[in-house]
Amino acid sequence: MRLPLYYNWRNLLARKLSTSLTFAIVAVVVFVLALLLSFVAGIRAALVATGSPQNLIVLKSGATAEATSLLTYEEAARLVQTPGVALDPAGFPLVSQELSVQTLIDRRSNGTPANVAVRGVDDIAFVVHPEVRLIAGRHMEASSAEVLVGRAAQQRFTGLDVGCQIRLGRKSDRRYTVVGVFEAGGGALESELWAPRTTISDAYGRRLLSSVALRLTSADAVPAALAYIRGPSVQLDGRTELRYYEDLAAKTREIVTLTTALVGLMAIGAAFAVMNTLYAAVDGRRREIAMLRAIGFSRRAIMLALLVESWLLCTAACLCGLVASAFFHGARQDYLSETTWTVLAYELRVTPQIALVAIVLATLVGVAGALLPAARAARINVLQALRKA
Amino acid sequence: MPLQLVYLGRNLTRNPLRTLLTAAAVALPITIVVLSSAVIDGISLYLDNSGKQLRLVVINRASIVALLPEGYRTKLEVLDAHRPVYVCGQRWLGGQLPNDPRPLSTLAADVDTFPAVFPDYLLRPGELEAWQTDRQALIVGRGTATQFGWQVGDRITINPSVPPYVPLQFHIVSTAPDAVDTYTLFCRRDYIAEELKRNHYMEDRVSLFFVKCRSASDLEYYRTGIDRSFANATDETMTQDEKTFINQFITQQFDLPRNLTILCAITVLVATLAAANTMSMNFRDRLGEYATLKSIGFGHGAVLATVQAESLAVCAAGGLCGALVPYIAFTYTRLREYHVPLIQQLQVRPVVCLLAVGVALAIGLLAGAWPAWLAARLKPVDAFRALE
Repeated sequence: MRLPLYYNWRNLLARKLSTSLTFAIVAVVVFVLALLLSFVAGIRAALVATGSPQNLIVLKSGATAEATSLLTYEEAARLVQTPGVALDPAGFPLVSQELSVQTLIDRRSNGTPANVAVRGVDDIAFVVHPEVRLIAGRHMEASSAEVLVGRAAQQRFTGLDVGCQIRLGRKSDRRYTVVGVFEAGGGALESELWAPRTTISDAYGRRLLSSVALRLTSADAVPAALAYIRGPSVQLDGRTELRYYEDLAAKTREIVTLTTALVGLMAIGAAFAVMNTLYAAVDGRRREIAMLRAIGFSRRAIMLALLVESWLLCTAACLCGLVASAFFHGARQDYLSETTWTVLAYELRVTPQIALVAIVLATLVGVAGALLPAARAARINVLQALRKA
Repeated sequence: MPLQLVYLGRNLTRNPLRTLLTAAAVALPITIVVLSSAVIDGISLYLDNSGKQLRLVVINRASIVALLPEGYRTKLEVLDAHRPVYVCGQRWLGGQLPNDPRPLSTLAADVDTFPAVFPDYLLRPGELEAWQTDRQALIVGRGTATQFGWQVGDRITINPSVPPYVPLQFHIVSTAPDAVDTYTLFCRRDYIAEELKRNHYMEDRVSLFFVKCRSASDLEYYRTGIDRSFANATDETMTQDEKTFINQFITQQFDLPRNLTILCAITVLVATLAAANTMSMNFRDRLGEYATLKSIGFGHGAVLATVQAESLAVCAAGGLCGALVPYIAFTYTRLREYHVPLIQQLQVRPVVCLLAVGVALAIGLLAGAWPAWLAARLKPVDAFRALE
């Protein structure tokens, strides 16, 4: 026989101050956890959403990112013969020669300048990266001073609306007109500006390429293609796009460790607070519990009642913390990658996984905090407790 | 022993479990405060040192990744003969060890001016000589040296992340034991220039110049003067003082100083709520006692002090434990070699711990305030009636 939930509910209300303080503690811990994880989830989502398993990105051997890679046109030309490379309807290989440069653009939020990536591309880049789709304006014309901006960049930085003019180039003296906005499945490319490669190469005085992107016929062609690229006739460093962006996300692991450690400590502190509240609840209710035992409720029913009470409190607090953190869902942030030296604009994401982690944490805190008080409640000597008025 | 102290002691031990749990619920947040403050402290020590060094950083206006002609060094040196400066050109190499994914922060610096521009590295006479005579000399920050287990005299190979993209051999000549920067590696730029030339890359460009000024007024003069004199050149410059330059990276990468401060504040709030919860439970349990005290003649102040002293004592105990544990862990155990992003080695300074204990006392004061006030204002008659 178990005690009705109604009983738990009334007990929580009986000690309003203690209940609400404990509620606040758990809610705040969950809020912090969800918020910290939403940063990591946002960055990871932006990086993991980038790239396709059948796309390769080729850099100079030794270079860790496009920004530090220099390829000659001769080296890039050899990649056209990569086995398994897909062809467009006209029979041209889907090989996109790309040039990565940077420019400083102010943030909308606080006006500080951010190092934004500018990618010089040819028309074929839009076939090689099919996830890049125009959502406003029109495509840029080849060899023109026109630029497309990623959706994330447009939202995070100033002066990137369609029709605006921005200055690019080694001396910031070339005026480019923003003619369109593109999306790329929420990926890292959305933090970039795309402009015709020839004019970017001229504006920045760059005689070399940064990287080459290849689209293969299928993901199965990857091993043979990589063997060719790393082999003696090309000697470059090829990776699938997925792998490249996964590597860039490695830094977030440090943050996850730090977050786990700090929130873990906070959660243990919260469990102590819950334990304190429940011990007080048990002590204050000795006669009542003895009474319940006397009329036939088992020790297990009493223990369960206290566990449920604690769990109810913590879960309700957890939901409240999650709702509070959800207000930050979608907020735009950016972070400067140490590898690419360019900023990645991302959205905070409170994902179902984060909610699950939060609920698990709250349950753990609730159960850990209630276990010992519940055991004490179950051990109450019925006769003594009833006699002691 | 005064009676008040005996009473405080009895109060604390009346429900030892509750006291212990409360102290622990305060101790853990205080540990978080200590660790976060130590990280912030490390960053600000680093930045303060940069601020004191009277160094300017000159980069390409187009972006941090764009390079500057090495010839700018001579132009910078002769910009104003009345305000002499030392200029050290540096080229970023980054790099990794073969078969080790951990990134290194390697910079190739002008060999002749490096000691003059970076006197805070405090190279010893023997080390200075090795730096000047050995083409493959490498100065490694001691944090990085500890992390990789390197010592002076070791030979290491680094694969640079930028041209010349070939493995480079180095000899470690110093681990800069007294430098504030424990992270960066410095090698000689003439060695890199040779390797660049051998591999057919442009060798005449640098990533940034450090300009060491003699006085604060010179620093201000050059901060604006340099950019003016390179305006409309093929490569325009952007000059910032070193502290501003470094700080912009810190704020753009997760902004640890700001975010950890926010986290600390929230943690302190949690600890306060936990302590307040206990104090209010204690108050409820001892209502009759306080009423008795008041009815036998104890004044408002005495009752207030009784409650407040208990709250302070519990929080102080928690705070002391919470501060001592990380202090001991990061000073006397292997944890002090733990690698922390940005500051490399975590130093928990006693002043940080003292500050945290202060925070714990503030928590105690806050948590006890409401119950203490209620207890002081208690009307014995009402209280006894309520207990009936």
